This record gives sequence, structure tokens and C-alpha cells, in this order.
Amino acid sequence: MRTPRLAAIAFAAVAALSLAACSGGNSAAPSGSAGTSGGSLVVDSGFTIETTDPGHTYDPTGNMVAKALYETLVDFQGSDVSTPIPGLASWTQNDAATEFTFTLEDGRTFSDGNPITADDVVFTMDRVKGMTEAKPNFLLTGITVSKVDDKTVTFASEVPLLQLPAILANPALGIVNSKVVQENGGSTTGTDSAQSYLDGASAGSGPFVLESLDLTSQIVLTKNPKYNGDEAAAYDRVVIRNVSESATQQINLRGGDTMVALDLNGDQVSELGTDFTVDSVPSGQTIFLLVNQDPAVGGITSNVDFASAVRSALDYDALLELAGSGAAQATGVIPPGFLGALETGTKQDLAASKAALAKSGYDGSTVKLQYPNDYPVGGVEFTPLAERVQSQLQAAGINVELAPAPFATELDSYVGGKEAFSMWFWGPDYADSANFLPFAPGLKVGLRAGWTADKNSTIAGLATAAQTSTDETERKANFTAFAKAMQESGPFVPMIVPGSNIATAKSVTGAVYNSVWTMDLAELKPAS
Amino acid sequence: MTLPRTQKTSRAPGERPAGDPPAGRSRPRRTSPLLGYLLRRLGTSVLLLLGVTIVTFALTNLVPGNPVAAALGEGAASNPETVAAYVKRYGLDQPLPVQYLTYLGNLLQGDLGRSLATGRPVTTDLATAIPATLEIAVLTIIVSLLVATVLGTVAAYRRGMVTDQVVRVVSLVGLSLPTFWLALVSFNFFFLQLRVVPGSGRLTATLTPPPTVTGLFTVDFLLNGDGVGFVDALAHLTLPVFVLSLFTVGLLTRFIRTSVLEVLGSDYVRAARAKGLSPMRIVFDYVLRGASLPILTIVGIAFGALLSGTVLVESVFAWPGLGTYAYNAARNLDLPGIMGVGLVVGFIYLGLNFIVDLLYGLLDPRVRLA
Repeated sequence: MRTPRLAAIAFAAVAALSLAACSGGNSAAPSGSAGTSGGSLVVDSGFTIETTDPGHTYDPTGNMVAKALYETLVDFQGSDVSTPIPGLASWTQNDAATEFTFTLEDGRTFSDGNPITADDVVFTMDRVKGMTEAKPNFLLTGITVSKVDDKTVTFASEVPLLQLPAILANPALGIVNSKVVQENGGSTTGTDSAQSYLDGASAGSGPFVLESLDLTSQIVLTKNPKYNGDEAAAYDRVVIRNVSESATQQINLRGGDTMVALDLNGDQVSELGTDFTVDSVPSGQTIFLLVNQDPAVGGITSNVDFASAVRSALDYDALLELAGSGAAQATGVIPPGFLGALETGTKQDLAASKAALAKSGYDGSTVKLQYPNDYPVGGVEFTPLAERVQSQLQAAGINVELAPAPFATELDSYVGGKEAFSMWFWGPDYADSANFLPFAPGLKVGLRAGWTADKNSTIAGLATAAQTSTDETERKANFTAFAKAMQESGPFVPMIVPGSNIATAKSVTGAVYNSVWTMDLAELKPAS
Repeated sequence: MTLPRTQKTSRAPGERPAGDPPAGRSRPRRTSPLLGYLLRRLGTSVLLLLGVTIVTFALTNLVPGNPVAAALGEGAASNPETVAAYVKRYGLDQPLPVQYLTYLGNLLQGDLGRSLATGRPVTTDLATAIPATLEIAVLTIIVSLLVATVLGTVAAYRRGMVTDQVVRVVSLVGLSLPTFWLALVSFNFFFLQLRVVPGSGRLTATLTPPPTVTGLFTVDFLLNGDGVGFVDALAHLTLPVFVLSLFTVGLLTRFIRTSVLEVLGSDYVRAARAKGLSPMRIVFDYVLRGASLPILTIVGIAFGALLSGTVLVESVFAWPGLGTYAYNAARNLDLPGIMGVGLVVGFIYLGLNFIVDLLYGLLDPRVRLA
């Protein structure tokens, strides 16, 4: 054995590491920081992305990237998702809200300089409809897209669809360059194979183009030199890094290694002090309790009186303490900021809880509360929240046993409606209150609670009325009535709308949260 | 880790044992024992890897939960059309034995399947993750071995004295500190407070990764002639290596101290001292060489653990390695991903075992003769 030689090599390794570390410490701050125009922007986020092909995109990080690379027909301004505004096109609709006509903005081009036409719009939509295995496929269910002329396209559906503009703002429906995509395997017949191409290059008209994609470490975007819209990128290059640990994001931000941190929880943003800008707003997610109404699943607790008892027993302010900055009490199944959301939430009323509990026939037996314990939503950890719920319900005479499990194993029984009492969350697929109608009896989330349409035909009717409204005023009234009825006699107990915290260095301005695409990278600018 | 058949002896390494034929005497002719040994090891390895696939496949399918729901998320999992297309695409509609046999058939062609979580071939995912972890693990084991050898040897020579006690405390602290906590505290202190190391990740965000040759950033930067990139990549390795080394040093120091103590009491070391050899020569040529076999065993185990179990450190330092990939695969019930990691880890341990066994022969002729 050449031990001295080995020792020399090892010593050299230690010495090299030490020297490199010291030199690295000086280069920690990214270039293009304070006060410069152009340069690089570094964003830290825990990745939830599988592809940069918009037709397969259905995750928060994926939506943020798709929004930067592709433009949609409809847009939202900043964090306001209540009012769709023209994106690549403006639109009109018929009185029945079953046909929408979109007219493309003049002169707009893709990143290769080719003009955007109606053919590109029709191809984009038909491609998503053709890819049945793609997650965003359901967005266009029941919708037919037709070309009228080179600048005009119609979207038609059998039923009124006032939410169509909001659906079309989803980044998954970003318009792709049909010529480029077809040349690389794109198809509308279900045989599309363009995803691998679109993971290496972009084919859109957004303010950025894709430089590189590494799903495990970083995504690099560069400024689109051919962009001719009104949201031009302020940075030449954007590096989005996968930093799954929020504590690491905070340290990176404080140390100047990143300029934007997307996943800090309430406690972490409060530690940042005044040297950073934080945008804390309620997200579109709602954390709720589910009380199964199927006696075969829920047993003695399978009635809405038990749900009412739980709803009145909770101290929502105390629950909110666990959520931190930006969070708000859930006032109903429709979260604040969406059409029809209730102004105020339920208040704790132990007397009402006891009365409802007596009416429910609850016999004091222990109820199992199931929840995913490895999937924090908006920084809210489910285990401490469940423990506090358990404690509060105990005070109201309801005995609860906690039954946590990993998200992946728990999800199937939740989706299959096999949980008697559980804690879950719901977020909008697109920015419209129609996203919350699935809580109604007989619909997707309602059925997960064993709540068939015949168990409350009144609420089922209210949901149908909201779904088929053709007038905005009438629609708002219908959604409000639905949300109110759900709070009074539904099997769900909405608790918290977690906050979304976007923390930025002072050198960056314009970062605001959007519930559909998290953050519009083109809105970020160097501070002057 | 397999321990070789050795016997307690006070002979110096390399000395011919009594009863062995002297050099020059003819021995019975045998057909290449090394080849036979290699073939036996290869056969055992294949069977073990096959066992890994069976156990991993069975366990993953026994876990309650639906991988389709886990992969699609609760929104898309409620769309029957999407679920049906997804199930068909990944062959999940086939009976489990058929799925397993299909997997094995593809495995023979080097195809580990497509990850349910990332949608990419598992081989592609692993080709990125393994070098990232390997880069940390190799440096960690080199640094740890150096430090632990010094500490363990000094502690053994100063047995029962203050130095020995200090080394034992240091070793115990290294083994006891929670790695996740240590990683966060070190990151905060060395990066945020002292500014002597860079932030998280393998490279400063404004730099472009080198063209992939080995997947090891430091090596690829060197091959590309990029000194700035090399220094930056090396600097990013510092803190993860430091944190992992604390534990590994603690582990190795205890073993080295014990091994050196055993050797120090042997006849040949006493003889070397009596001959008047210099202390340094006794340490390097007699003591450490004699103590190297058990050290080699524990180094092999530690290296295997580093390659497969650095998930917490990788998480804190945003290091896209094998640990992170394994964690995400398990979290998403990503069967092909889990199987791929299981095979790689099994392969790593078998490979290391094999290498250690070969090194035994290199270090101690008695093992070769046995």
C-alpha cells in the first residue's frame, strides 16, 4: 500500500476544497443584480414540473414556465384573476354563452418570426384534445374549436360556458407554432410525440424562449428577441433553480445567491426583515375537512349534523395561527377573491356545536381523521393542523384519532370516497368559481364525501344554476347562494386558505402572486 | 460487506506462512482460480440483483395506494379518459407477473422503463443523478479517510491519554449530530455569516454547466479547459463534503483506532521497533498496512452508504443526486424509478464488495493464497 501517496492525494483534496470554497464565497452573488437593466434573474423554487410542453403542463412550476414561453388567448393582470383580459386575442360571445369568437391581435409573431394565425390556435387546442393521456386534456372537454378566417376562431359548447375565457388563460393552452411542432412530431390525432422536442426548445410567442431544461436542477430561459407584445422581458436571462427545502431558499435569498424565493412559509418571511420585499396573499387553495355521508363508509358520523357540529366547534383564528403570513380563514368552498365568495366565515360556537352533535346521534366513539402528512400546502403542515383540530374537537366532545399517511398512499382512498373523516385541500384548475362547483352533491368532490345528488337536491340545483348562468350578475348571485348553502348544510368544513409568499431582494420589483401561474416572470424588473 | 477468511497472526504482511510451499516448488496445476472466482462472483451478483428486483417489485406493489393517482394528481386522476390512457401507456393494465416479466425483459436490453414521476426514461434520470452523488461521495471518502487515519492512529498511540479522549469525543460528536440539522446550521454559518462558501446547488446560477462527458462537473470542466467553472464546482462541493465527512470521519476514526491498537501489540511491530526503524516508517509500513483490512471493509460500507443515503444533505444543498431521486420516486410510488434505484444501489454494494475483496488480495498475500 502506498499510504504516503494516498495521504498526499487526500491532503491535496482537502487543500483544494478549502481554496475553492474561499474563492466560491466571493462569487456567491449573481450577476445582473441591483439596479441593472437586463442581466440575469435567479429564482428559487421547489420544482413541480414534468415538461415544458404546454400541452402536458399541469403543475405550478410548469405553469410559470409555460406562461413565460407561450402566450394564451386570454390573460390576467397581476394577481387579479377575477377579470379576464385580452391576451393574444379579444373576444365576443353570444347571448347563450355557448359560442365565443376570438380575434387575434394584428402583427403578433412566434419566436421564429412567423405570424400567429388561426390555424395555430386550432392546432393548439385540437392537439390538447387529442392527447387523452395529457393532464390538461379535460380543460377542453365538450368544446369545439373552428377557424373562421386567418385571424378569427370560434369556441363552441353545448352548454353555457361563461368560464371559457378563464379556462383559456391557463398556460397549458398557450398557443404553439403549429408548423414547428408538427415538424417535430406534433399531431391532433392522439399520436403526438412533440413533447421531447418541446423539452429542448420552445415554439411559442412568449417574452422568453427556452435555453435549457433540467427537471432536477434548473431551467434557463432567455429573452425572446422576436417578442412584439406589450409584456417584454426586463431580464436577458432567467434561471429557475430547484431548491426544494424552503429553509435553503431563505438562506440563499438572504445571502444574495438568489433574487426570488417562491416557497417560504409565514415564519420564514417574517424573519426576513426590511431588506426584502414580500408579497403575501391568500392563495387559491382551500384546506378543508370532509365528513363522508355514505353510512357504509362514515357510519354514525355520516350526516350533515355531524359536519355542522365540527364546523361550529373549530376556533378558526387559532387554526390560522399555524398558517402564517398571507393566509386567511376559508369563508366557504369558494375562496376569497373568486366570484361568489362569502364575506365572512364561520365563528366558533360551542353551544351550536353541542346541539348539532346531539342531533347527529354521535355516541362519543372515536373518529379517525385521515390526512396526508408529507404534503404541505402553501407552507401549512397538515400534522400540526390536524393536532390542533383534534384538540379543539376534543373540547367540543368529539373524540378524534389521527391517522396520517403519505400523500401517495392516501390519495387513492380519498379520490375513491373511502374516507369517513379526512383533511384535504382543493385548488382551482383555472381562475373561475366554476372550479368549486365539484363540491356539490353528485359531483367530483361531493362524491368523494359519499354525497350523491339525491342527498341534497337543493344544493345540486344551485350548482346547476351557477354552472348554466348566462348573465354575469345572475351568475354571481347563484355562486353566492351555492357557497352559503354549502356552509349551512354541506359535508365539508373549509378551514384555511394558505398564504402564498413571494420574497424578493430589493433589487427586483414587480413580483406578484397569481393563483394560475404563480408568478409572471415578464412582470419582474430590476429596481431603478 | 463480506469479510475474508483471515487468521490471527503475528507475522508481518507478506511473510510466508508456515506450511505454505516455498517459492520455486511445483504446485498442483489448477485451471485459473481467479477466473473461477470471478465467474462465481458474477453468478452470485446476477442472482442477488434478480432478488433485488423481485423484492423491490413486490414491496412497491404491496404499498397501499395507487401509483396512477399519485402520478396524475388528484385533479387529472378523476378524469377517466386520462387515467385509462395513462394506464395503457405505462402497461399498468397488465397483471403483476406480466408487468414484472416485461420489466425483466426490458432490463436485459438495458431499458429500466419510464419514470411515472418524471415521464423520462429511468436510465436518463439516473445518468444525471448518479454522477452528482458520486462527486460528493468520492471527495467525502477521500477527505474522511485522511482525517480519520490521522485521528485514529494518534488516538491509538496515545491510548488512554487526553488526546485519545478528545478524539473519541470528536468521533462521537460526528456520529451523533443529526445530518439535516448540521447541514442547515453549517450552510447558515459558512455561507450566510462567514461568506466563505457559495450558495446551494452544484454551480453558481449564472454559470453554464459543462458539456456532459462524465457527469462530474469538476472533471467535465477540467476536460473542457474551464478553470473558472472547475473552481466554482469545487467550491460548491465544499460544504456538502464537509457535512458528510463529519459523520464518516466519526465512523472511520473508531474503526481505525481499534485496528491500529490491535496491530500495535503484534510481534512484528515490536520487532520493527527493536530494529530501530523510524516511528514514521513503522506507522506507514507496518501499522497502517497491517490494520488496513478491517479499515478497507468499513470504508467500502461507508462509501456505499454515501452513494445511496445522502438524501437529507442533498435536500438542504439542493443537490440533484441519487438520494433525492430515490426519495421522490418513493414519494410518488414511481415503480420504475424505485426499481431503478434499487438496482443501482444493489449494484453499487455488490461492486464495492467485489472491489474490496480484490483489494484484500492485493494488500495481504495470505488472502490470495487462501
